[in-house]
Amino acid sequence: MDTPKKPVPIVNPWARPFWDAAREERLVTQRCKDCDKFIFYPRIACPHCFSDNLEWVEVSGKGTIYSFTVVENNAPSAFIKEMPYVVAIIKLEEGVQMLSNVVECDLDELHCDMPVEITFEKLTDEFTLPKFRPV
Amino acid sequence: MSELKGKVAIVGIGEVPTGRFPETAAIYHAIESAKQAIRDAGIDKDEIDFCMPTASLFSPQFNTELVTCRVVEELGLKKCKKNCQVFSGGSSSSCGLQMAGSLITSGVARTVLFVHSDRLGTGVTAQGGIDLFSTAGISAEWEVPFGQHYSSIAALSTTRYKYETGCTDEQLASVCVSNRKWAEKNPNAFFRKPLTIEEVMASKMLSTPLRAKMSNMLFDGGSAFVLTSAERARDLPNKPVYILGESGVVSHFVFSQELDVSRFGWAKAAKEAFEEADLTPQDMDVAEIYDSYPVYQMIGFEELGFCERGEAGEIFMRGETWPGRRIPCTTDGGMLSKGHIGAGGAVSLMVEAARQLMGKAGERQVKDARFAVETATGGTYMDAQVTILGTEIP
Ligand SMILES: [Zn+2]
Repeated sequence: MDTPKKPVPIVNPWARPFWDAAREERLVTQRCKDCDKFIFYPRIACPHCFSDNLEWVEVSGKGTIYSFTVVENNAPSAFIKEMPYVVAIIKLEEGVQMLSNVVECDLDELHCDMPVEITFEKLTDEFTLPKFRPV
Repeated sequence: MSELKGKVAIVGIGEVPTGRFPETAAIYHAIESAKQAIRDAGIDKDEIDFCMPTASLFSPQFNTELVTCRVVEELGLKKCKKNCQVFSGGSSSSCGLQMAGSLITSGVARTVLFVHSDRLGTGVTAQGGIDLFSTAGISAEWEVPFGQHYSSIAALSTTRYKYETGCTDEQLASVCVSNRKWAEKNPNAFFRKPLTIEEVMASKMLSTPLRAKMSNMLFDGGSAFVLTSAERARDLPNKPVYILGESGVVSHFVFSQELDVSRFGWAKAAKEAFEEADLTPQDMDVAEIYDSYPVYQMIGFEELGFCERGEAGEIFMRGETWPGRRIPCTTDGGMLSKGHIGAGGAVSLMVEAARQLMGKAGERQVKDARFAVETATGGTYMDAQVTILGTEIP
C-alpha cells in the first residue's frame, strides 16, 4: 500500500498567526485583553468572557504531560511508518492544553505530569509543528 | 428538568443481528429493524406520522437516501408527515429519544419511528475504518496532523484514568469479560465465545495501554424503536417504557481541549437525570452504560454513582456486573462484544434497555426489571447523555 503524505493542518484564517509563528519556531497563543485569560486554540471571540478584544502573545513553551499514549499498531495510514510514536495532551504553564507529539524521549520513562518543553519539527515549507520533549 | 417525564413511552423495538453481511443492502438493516419495531408495538404502520432516521457513516450516498425518505417509501408509511434526520454521533440514541419525545408532547407528532442502520463492517475496509475514524470528528487543524485517531483518544483517557485511580490493565480487561458474558446470551451479538482476562491481555498492543481486545470493532447492523404518548401506550400490548429523566453535558469538540479526560460531564448529567426521575443509581435494575472502550464504561459506571471513583475496576473484576449478579451492566454485550455499528452503538443500548424493561430479553432477562439507565456519547466523547427509563412513574 502506498503511504499517503502526512496530513497538514487545515488552517482557519484567524489561526494563521499561530502557524506563521510556528514556522519561525515561536509558540504563540491568543490572550484576552478583557479577562486576561490565555486562549488555545485560536478563536474569533474569547470563549470565557465573549470579548473580541484578543491579542497574540508568545508563551513559555513549558508545560507538563496531562496524558499520553505510545501508538504501536493500527495507526492512520499516513502515520504507519512513524510507529511507535507518542501522542500526548500537553498542559502549558499558561493553563491551556494542546495535542502534540512527545519526541526525543525514552518511551519507558514517560509519565503523566512529566515536565516538557517546546521543540519544533518542520513538516513542509509551509508548516512547522510544535512538539515537546522532556526537560 | 424537561417536561417529558412519564409523558411518552417506547412501545416497540426492533433489531437485526450485528455482523458482516456483504450480500445485504444497507437499507435492509434499517427497514427490517423498523418493520420489527412497528409490529412489536402492535400498531398499524400508518400510525407512524414522523420518521426519524439517524445517520449512517459508511456512505454519504446511503445517508442521503435515509434523509430523502427511503425508509418511509420502502415500508409504505402512507400517513407519515415528516421524515427528518436527528444525529449527534454516538449519542443519537438519547438525543433522538428526547427530540422525538418533545415532538410528541408538543403535539407536532403522535407516533415517531426512530431507526438506525449502518454498514461499517463491510462498507469500508479495515484500514479504511481506521482512516475514517482518524478524521471523522477529529480536528483537522489541531489533532489530525499529530496522528490522533480513536484508539489513541481512548488510550489518552485510559492512561490518565489509571494514573489518577490506580486501575490495572487486568481490571480494564475485566470490563471486556463482563460484556462478553452478556453477549454469550445475545443472539444479535457478533462475539459470543467466552473471553478471559488472559486472552485480552495477550492481544496485540494498539496504543498503550490499550490492546486489540479492549477495542470495539466495526460491523453492519441496525435497530429501531417506536415512541408515542403515554396515553396511547397504555392501549398497546407491550409494557410502556416511559422516559423518566434525562440530561446531558456537551464538553468539547477537540478532544485535547477536554479538561478532564477521565471524568467528562457524566456526574452532572446523571445527577440531573436521576433527580428528575426521583430515583437513585441504587434503584436501577439495569445499567446500559456506553462502552466502546472499557475505560469509558468504568468512568460512566463511577460518575453515574454506582460506586466511588476508582472502585469500578474491583467491581468488574469480581463479576458483580455479570448476568444474575448485583448490577447488570451493558446487557446486550455493548460495542466491545455485540459490535460497534456507528451511531447505532447506543441505539442498541436504548433498545436493550427497553427490551429488558418490557421483559423480552430472553436468556439474559434481568428478573422483574423496572428501571434502567442508558448513557451515550458522541464524537470524541464530546458529550455525556443520560436517560432514565422505567415501567412505573415515581
Ligand atoms: Zn475574555
